Amino acid sequence: MTDILPFLKSIISVAGLSGYETPVANLIEEKWTPLVDEISRSRLGSIHGLKKGSVSGKASRPSVLIATHMDAIGLMVTRIVDGFIYVTNIGGVDARVLPGTPVLVHATKSAKELYGVVAMPPANLLPEGQSAGAIGLKYLMIDTGLTPREVSKRVHIGDRVSFNTEPVEMSGGCISGHTLDNRASVAALTICLEELQAKSHIWDVWALASIQEEVTFGGSYTSTYQLRPTIAIALDMTFGNGTGSNDHTAFPIGKGVTLGIGPSVHPFLHKRFKEVAERVEIPVKDEALPDHSSTDADAMQLTAEGIPTMVVSIPQRYMHTPVELVALKDIQRAGRLLAEFVASLEADFINKIAWD
Amino acid sequence: MKQLLKTLTETFSPSGYEDEIRKVILNEVKSLADEVRVDALGNLIVRKKPIKGTKSPKKIMIAAHMDEIGLMVTHVDDNGFVRFTGIGGVYPRNLVGGHVRFANGVSGVIGLEPTSSPSDVPALNKMFVDVGATSKKNCPVKTGDVAGFERSFLDLGDRLVAKSMDDRIGCLVAIEALRALKSTPHDVYFVFTTQEEVGTHGAQTSAYGIDPDLGFSIDVTSWGDTPGQKDFEVALGKGPAIKIRDGGMLSDPRIVDWMIRTAEKAKIPYQREVLLGGTTDARAMQLVRGGVPVGCVSIPCRYVHTPAEMVDFNDVKNAVKLIGLMLKNSVSI
Repeated sequence: MTDILPFLKSIISVAGLSGYETPVANLIEEKWTPLVDEISRSRLGSIHGLKKGSVSGKASRPSVLIATHMDAIGLMVTRIVDGFIYVTNIGGVDARVLPGTPVLVHATKSAKELYGVVAMPPANLLPEGQSAGAIGLKYLMIDTGLTPREVSKRVHIGDRVSFNTEPVEMSGGCISGHTLDNRASVAALTICLEELQAKSHIWDVWALASIQEEVTFGGSYTSTYQLRPTIAIALDMTFGNGTGSNDHTAFPIGKGVTLGIGPSVHPFLHKRFKEVAERVEIPVKDEALPDHSSTDADAMQLTAEGIPTMVVSIPQRYMHTPVELVALKDIQRAGRLLAEFVASLEADFINKIAWD
Repeated sequence: MKQLLKTLTETFSPSGYEDEIRKVILNEVKSLADEVRVDALGNLIVRKKPIKGTKSPKKIMIAAHMDEIGLMVTHVDDNGFVRFTGIGGVYPRNLVGGHVRFANGVSGVIGLEPTSSPSDVPALNKMFVDVGATSKKNCPVKTGDVAGFERSFLDLGDRLVAKSMDDRIGCLVAIEALRALKSTPHDVYFVFTTQEEVGTHGAQTSAYGIDPDLGFSIDVTSWGDTPGQKDFEVALGKGPAIKIRDGGMLSDPRIVDWMIRTAEKAKIPYQREVLLGGTTDARAMQLVRGGVPVGCVSIPCRYVHTPAEMVDFNDVKNAVKLIGLMLKNSVSI
């Protein structure tokens, strides 16, 4: 197995906020190109990689789509006051941890990126009742160190602001950084494609790096419509055990991946994943998703006449913060499990997907 | 233009009941278009074909919704008081003292059950329409009937006030842009959509049917320039707003660039819009089929979703100019 760490570090060292995924899309396309037979981009910018299966003939080739969203949460400039930049969120940002975060302001007036830090206003400048505890996003501001004049010359309302925390390799085989949600899954899908180079598989595989999952599921809605796979899998992050989150809704880091169960998941796909995991001895845990899954699967399932979907997740601590934390082992496991699942698909698998 | 806006805004058309406004708009556009049709959801689709000989013209969809928020009767009580629910984003505090008209022409006023303090605003289910009836029997409306708000158009010079400026102002801009568009290299579809206020339904189905290459909506946006309004840098009179994002959509950066380049080249004033809540037809268009690059030209509008929505006439004229130029010239996206 090749070392995925350099690639993972490279894709969590660039921006690529929802709606503006190009910087990370370029890296992913470059990495996937030698691993697939065809590669292209959708009208909205999702990456479609096709690795052809061994089934002969052109008509009705069965295909499995594996979706990993590549977009990142982040911030957007709403107004500038005395050189300080106020922002709103793109996607769900946990504002409690933002003060002190290094950021990059993608300043379009000067077409140059500006370094900044998220600053907290002093207590006496906050409205009554706002000065204690975590400060709401609308009161936080970004300091670029530039004079008000300079900031106004360079920064536009609507400019993006991305997290600029460096990836950190941690003890215990963990990595921390921004946007591991969901680029850790992109790395896992890359491992899957690498594994499939030496494995025979009957089904076509669509590797999808989707756009705008964090805001509208825009990439999965549209790419699934265009590609019309037979079945579809979302690989995303789930909540990892840690301080204050040790109940059944969180899963231990480094102890394997989770298999979703619930209305977003076709029970037959869950069953097959479980069988494959047991056979190849990859540890998995069932994850109850009693409502929707909050992954691309929710959109893919409802596309066209409906598509059987599956949700596989990698446990992660500090979701939607600039210091998300994942065990590398789990990324490897997710990639291998996907490859083994794909290889397990027999030509008539879809006929076995039947409700009792 | 103001006369047409008066007619448009004073026409009755709550979501799902757009017949009257469709007739008004159809009458205005039929002589300007190459093709006009009404689809299954009632969207009015107005096509302007490309100049003959244009190689692979782009299909561009422009959506302006013609529906408005309103009320629907849930039941009539024994004393003839009409209980109702909202169609679209109807906020109780905007209803107090309101005057409504039902599709059958019956008018009524909105009354409230008493509250513990005169400054409290009750929920919708503590309000009723008084149509002057005294019993269920002599009440001229029944469960399921639909009402629109009544308010006459007000011309304050540059500033114009009306009910349903959201989004009759978008309809006006679309009509005037079509009127001014003598020829185009694009295959242009102006769509006057239905049911935007209840979930962008008309845009979703018409975009599926048209399958455009790119598109945008024309709709109102919020405002930040009256006392106490905060955190929104859009003002009336400073030009149409080019939407970068709203509560439901991130505009495609290529469409934003196209709008800004066009505005700057023609020295049309514009504002950059970062709206935190709400969305437009463009969201539905973006997610249709394999995905469509979209954006939105917004008309800044004060007091949105009240019966007194205010826009600036210069913003309206500049929006017409901007859209006219975008459609006149070729674009590569």
